[in-house]
Amino acid sequence: MAAKERKWKCWKCSEELVKQQVLFTYLGHTFSHDLPTCPKCGRVFIPKELADGAIAEVEEQLEDK
Amino acid sequence: MINLDELKLEDSKALTAKCFHGEPASCSFACPFQLDVRSFLRRASEGKWAGAYKAYRNATVFPVIVSTLCDQPCQNRCQRTLLGDEAIAVRDVEKACVKYVKNRKPQSYSIPPKTEKIAVVGAGVAGLSCALNLAQKKYNVTVFDKEDNLGGVLRTHPDFPAFAEDIKLQFSAVKVDFQFNHEINSLAELAEFDAVYIATGAGGEDFGLLESWNDEVFTTAKDKIFMGGMLTGATLMEGIAQGNLLSKIIEGYLQTGRASLGYVSYDKDYCGHYLEHEDAVSMPKVIASSSEGYTEEEAKQEAARCLFCDCDKCLTQCEMLKRFKKNPHIIAVEAYNDIKANPPYSTRSLTRQTYSCNLCGYCKSICPESVDIGEVLRLSRRARMNANIHPAALQDFWLREMDFATTTGAYTSAPKGKEQCEYAFFPGCQLGAAAPGYVLQSYSYLAQNYDTGIMLTCCGAPAYWAGDDKRLEDNLAKIKVDWAKLGNPTLIFACATCRLMFKQFLPEINTISLYELLAQDEELMPAQPFAEAAVFDPCNARGNEEMQQSVRKLAQKAGINITELKDKNRCCGYGGLIRLANPSLYDEIAENRVNASEKPYIVYCANCREVFSTRGKESLHILDLVFGTGENRKVPTLLEKRENSLEVKKELTAEISGTAFTPDKQPWDDLTLLIDDEIQKEMEEKLISAVELKEAIWQAETTGEKFYDESEGISLTSMIKPVITYWVEYKEVGAQTYQIHSVYYHRIRFKEEG
Repeated sequence: MAAKERKWKCWKCSEELVKQQVLFTYLGHTFSHDLPTCPKCGRVFIPKELADGAIAEVEEQLEDK
Repeated sequence: MINLDELKLEDSKALTAKCFHGEPASCSFACPFQLDVRSFLRRASEGKWAGAYKAYRNATVFPVIVSTLCDQPCQNRCQRTLLGDEAIAVRDVEKACVKYVKNRKPQSYSIPPKTEKIAVVGAGVAGLSCALNLAQKKYNVTVFDKEDNLGGVLRTHPDFPAFAEDIKLQFSAVKVDFQFNHEINSLAELAEFDAVYIATGAGGEDFGLLESWNDEVFTTAKDKIFMGGMLTGATLMEGIAQGNLLSKIIEGYLQTGRASLGYVSYDKDYCGHYLEHEDAVSMPKVIASSSEGYTEEEAKQEAARCLFCDCDKCLTQCEMLKRFKKNPHIIAVEAYNDIKANPPYSTRSLTRQTYSCNLCGYCKSICPESVDIGEVLRLSRRARMNANIHPAALQDFWLREMDFATTTGAYTSAPKGKEQCEYAFFPGCQLGAAAPGYVLQSYSYLAQNYDTGIMLTCCGAPAYWAGDDKRLEDNLAKIKVDWAKLGNPTLIFACATCRLMFKQFLPEINTISLYELLAQDEELMPAQPFAEAAVFDPCNARGNEEMQQSVRKLAQKAGINITELKDKNRCCGYGGLIRLANPSLYDEIAENRVNASEKPYIVYCANCREVFSTRGKESLHILDLVFGTGENRKVPTLLEKRENSLEVKKELTAEISGTAFTPDKQPWDDLTLLIDDEIQKEMEEKLISAVELKEAIWQAETTGEKFYDESEGISLTSMIKPVITYWVEYKEVGAQTYQIHSVYYHRIRFKEEG
């Protein structure tokens, strides 16, 4: 179910998401990444694949530093 | 107690100071040359003759002479003799090494020549050993001897031609001025030299200085005059070793003007450490097939008889230490360094290991010196928490569970109608969460038989494991107040961890285990779910004989034939809260415990039961036998655990206080979630409770802050908690009913979250 490609829209703004640079922080480290975001309210969408994959890896690396 | 704000390297190092891993073996302490016999024999056993020879040559200076004449004091300290075997024939292996090594040509060092001049009086092996070592370092060395040749006392030995050849070979790469037929009658003749070594042999000329000889640093009453060898009563071997050592002392003297041992010698005569060698098998000494000595193969075999004595018990038996491959001394240093690290200029190196330790005390229990690596890593956790540099997400879940158990889930009361009591039941937070009926049945049993009140709360173990001193101390203080209000009752424990926490932090409170009271009851007849079983004692019941024996007594009463595990009181994996910090290690440990016996387990820790049952291992809590039918209980979900805990509180409040307990109701409590098994399993593994999903969905539906896929009618929302951000994809399938499509989380924060 989760693997299926969805066409997300921001519910409040009825806007389709566009890629924007998003700033991340964790344990005092800051970095940025382009992610689908509501162009109006700025709500950021983080897909499961990213959270379970690259983000989890980065988290582990930063925790170890 | 170590002051965390002023943590010193010594504080950390002191915790592992007694560990002797990596120290020279007992044989090396006996060796006049302090040869690393263990590593020499290791290389020899592998046929690595070049490496073995290099180490041997550097230690003994004259390998042919030493491998012929050494009286092998190492054999008196050989730990193989403890098994009833003959000591390793070290000298025969040394001889073989000299014989089979391909290249014996001495190394030439490209270092700049020195200006200092050193005189050696006496061309025996003691003097020559010192002369050779100093010449290798490019000092200007002159050797004087009244005779016409070198060798001293060895010149009359039948093997002298071979010895002389060895000496010649070793000197072939250095420049030394030999002055034979040159007797020194007065030290005044040597005034031009910066240092003088007198090694004139037994009964030789001492220039009136023997009485003032210092046997530690080989000095005499006269400045720059050193003395050693058989003249001072040393044996031939000791003389060679002294020459080697003296070359270092003289070099230090030339550089600093002081004669000192520095780091060139052991600080003790004998290591004092004999190991258990539990798995070692007896092996007879290899007999040489010819009078010429060992063949290459025979030498390798004889060297392989070495037990390579080094204590590595914790490093080989603890899965965590095995995985990280760091010795205890390094762990202690890194624990300190990590606290003082200043990223990005310097990084930490022990974080993952710090949070991967079960803190189960197993290492301490098997260490001959009782070194507790867990104590080092808990110090590291405490210091990180204190400095606010801890990765909170690794332990956040359990600390929140603790907060729940000590607030909403907590309840303390004397028995019905009373203010105080003689006993109070302290079931711990996990038993009620796993099996509420057993807390209620236990309390009912205790209340019938003893004057028993109740203390439902958490002992503080999660805070202890997380290194959260403040949370721990606050909780202990609260417990103490509640306990005093009950009239200082003896506390009855169902959980070994709780009991250990009390023993450590609230020793003034008398304790007893539930199982001991149950085992005393002659009329009680536990169920017999299986004919045979192994008792799996939790790590925190180590040393708690009363608890261990009571559980066995109850199981035997049920008619169960008990098998003892070879390795007892190992952590099931749960301890120390390592599951999120190191999931694969957690799995490895849990699997190893599951596979420790084919028999079903009887456990008496709710966490052990959960770990094993989740992995399909047939295991029952001892209370399953006492109060249950012995049937396999399903492991509850995280949400069910919370509900179970509240159920216990609700029932007991009604029964004892006669009041109705209704937990604060949250608006999202009434939502119904449909979660399939696969997602539920993933949630349990990642410690995501359905409570979080309900709250996230309720928020999204109330505020409209969510993403939406129109074609499928599916919503996606995130909920930002202080440490974790949760995401849930769901679809409304009925009134306040949602089908969950996927669940995930992350620890990083994004900008939108502020």
